[in-house]
Amino acid sequence: MAGQGVQRREVLRILGTAAAAATFPGFSKWGFACGHIGKAGLQIKAAVYRPQFFTPSEYAVVERLAEIIIPSDSTSGAKEAGVAEFIDFMVASDPEAQYPLRTGITWLNEHSQRTWGKRFAELAPDQQISLLDPLGFKDKGRPGEEDGRKFFKLFREYTVMGFYTSEIGYKELDNPALKLYSASPECPHKDDPEHLHLPPPKS
Amino acid sequence: MRARTDNRMAKKIYDVIVIGTGAGGGMAIKTLCDAGLKVCALNAGRKLQPDKDFRYHRMPWDMKFRGLDDPKRRKQSFGYMDNEYTKAAWDHEIPFTVAPGTKWMWPRCNAVGGKTNFWGRSSARFGDIDLRAASVDGYDVDWPVSYEEISPFYTRVEKMIGVASTVQNRPSNPDGSYLPPFNFRCLDWILQAGCNKVGVPYLPDRCAQLTQPHEGHPACHYCGECTTGCDVGAFFSTPYFLLPKAEATKNLELRTDALAKNVLVDEDGHASGVAYIDRKTKQEVEVYGHAVVVAASCIESSRIMLNSKSRYWPNGIANSSGQLGRNLCDHLYGESARGYLPQLLGQPSFPDHVADSTIAWMPRWQNLKSPHEEKFIRGYSVYPDGGCTEFPWFANDVDGFGSSFKREIKRRYPAPVSFGIQAPSLRSDKNFVDLDPEVKDPYGIPVARMHFEWDENVLKMWEHSKEVCAEVLRAAGGVVEGTGEAPEIPGWSLHETGTCRMGNDPKTFVTDRFGRTHDVTNLYLCDASVFLSCTDKTTTISILAFTLRTSEYLIDNFRTGEHQAG
Repeated sequence: MAGQGVQRREVLRILGTAAAAATFPGFSKWGFACGHIGKAGLQIKAAVYRPQFFTPSEYAVVERLAEIIIPSDSTSGAKEAGVAEFIDFMVASDPEAQYPLRTGITWLNEHSQRTWGKRFAELAPDQQISLLDPLGFKDKGRPGEEDGRKFFKLFREYTVMGFYTSEIGYKELDNPALKLYSASPECPHKDDPEHLHLPPPKS
Repeated sequence: MRARTDNRMAKKIYDVIVIGTGAGGGMAIKTLCDAGLKVCALNAGRKLQPDKDFRYHRMPWDMKFRGLDDPKRRKQSFGYMDNEYTKAAWDHEIPFTVAPGTKWMWPRCNAVGGKTNFWGRSSARFGDIDLRAASVDGYDVDWPVSYEEISPFYTRVEKMIGVASTVQNRPSNPDGSYLPPFNFRCLDWILQAGCNKVGVPYLPDRCAQLTQPHEGHPACHYCGECTTGCDVGAFFSTPYFLLPKAEATKNLELRTDALAKNVLVDEDGHASGVAYIDRKTKQEVEVYGHAVVVAASCIESSRIMLNSKSRYWPNGIANSSGQLGRNLCDHLYGESARGYLPQLLGQPSFPDHVADSTIAWMPRWQNLKSPHEEKFIRGYSVYPDGGCTEFPWFANDVDGFGSSFKREIKRRYPAPVSFGIQAPSLRSDKNFVDLDPEVKDPYGIPVARMHFEWDENVLKMWEHSKEVCAEVLRAAGGVVEGTGEAPEIPGWSLHETGTCRMGNDPKTFVTDRFGRTHDVTNLYLCDASVFLSCTDKTTTISILAFTLRTSEYLIDNFRTGEHQAG
């Protein structure tokens, strides 16, 4: 009979999520086109996103971190793509990710408190960057901040996942996925097989 | 003819019961129906409805979890293929267990068509280099079938399914009849130049994806979403290519949600039909036939046969050799090297991802002149891939954050490459499947228990491939950023073979050289379970070719009266 209890718990856990997903009010930045919730084709778009997992003060950190990792500069960034909403939604459905992300945000706030006497979200942008540089750049790492680096790496993965699977992320890369062709696309530089003489990239 | 009881005569008896509708089952069903035999096919899952079940041509932001699937479900899913696009197609109800120390991943699509709905489409023929490998290097035994004998079946299969490639004259790979190949992408020309410098082949893969209309099937539209199913049937799958033809003969009765439990035997120990669970009613049902074809894929076929215990077959049907379930082989998969091509940095994006990793291949180049050139015997193949894919998977290799990070991801987007190895494990007594003595599935049927570990030979191939692929990448002017730390866990490739191997000696082989079991003369196997080794090539086209041969042998046995026709 070993395992049955675990299995039952797992079923209950999944049912719990299904119920939560059924009442999910939707993202503010995009709607689903394929009717996962309710009727097929139904578009749900909330005016203001209500975080499903993070507390309001945690969510402010999530938003800020995503914007710093993929900023809005000459092109749109994590903010326009709604990456914070995506991260919150994924984490709300993923108990195993909740602990490291929540404790990571706590670590960052304490670290900020020790360094600047304020919580992370209250810092000026350059102060925030000065805290993140040693966490995000390999050659700037500082001993004693391993937990922070680990958290930042995980958070960056979520941000990348959220941004580059969004419509804005596809535009950023000019992602050619899911276009249709009448013949298999062919390299346009066959006279230069090693591709040593391509025109210089546009900056 | 064997005597039959009055009781039996009253029941409906089909000519052949076929378990499974994948590559093997589908080909058997179509061939038998064409010959006028009445076939009852059992499929463990339902029929997929492409419009509902395949979520192709969907942008990730149109999916609730961006195609990544619900994190909770993802943790119990079977890896890369079992995702939000195709989740309804994979079986999660029937468990399996692993022996202590064994890791095994076993994605099973029990829907009609099986794994042909989502397969990788690489379709190289086996050659004598594979079938006669034992004669050359002294390990294990030769196949009981020569290339000369199986070659015409490959030709017929290629005509049926359509394979895009070129004639390559490689000693490792017999050529066949091909549709025009895929065009090379920028990265292919660059990597080919690198391979030429190192002395390693880089050629168009053999890809069962239609580069032109073929036998009534439309040409590919190159959306790149093959592993989530095709909406137009522009690559081979049994629901698009074989089952409709079988249905058109009116000789087929296909029963879905019919989970085969065991092969039934008559009073002489011959196969008389199959007992299955109707998964909708949860009732056990019996169906009878003059012959039975087991084509449930090698592990599931073994499980069904091991569960077919009777007075005659106390250790499972057709298992007098004790070899049923033994000699399991699998392909070792893993990322041998990854990096990027500086030539392509910052270049405009290009649709590189129109056929996953089946545009080009590096077919086996090791141990061709003599069997012991390398520190390992036999050989492996490599599938290169890269360029602009759906998701910038290389981003974790980029340092930092902010605008520089974002710019670097865009700059790198056209340039990443990776090399995936496909290497055969060697037959070993340690690798087999048996029945778990305690664990049963929800229908009370004992589940398969896996025993598997990679052998020393295949791990040497893995190490070798890491060195060569890094060398190729550097020779192509590329930057090497790493190699896979460890191969994928066994089962990942979905290329399990063995467990009911074919051979002439009934003491050491489960089936004869035609795939008919030595012990039970009306019981046949039509999947990769009869293969003696897994070779460096993929399995599907060979399952099709060997099944075509087995099916015609079976038909002959009806014509000669050895099996009774209804």
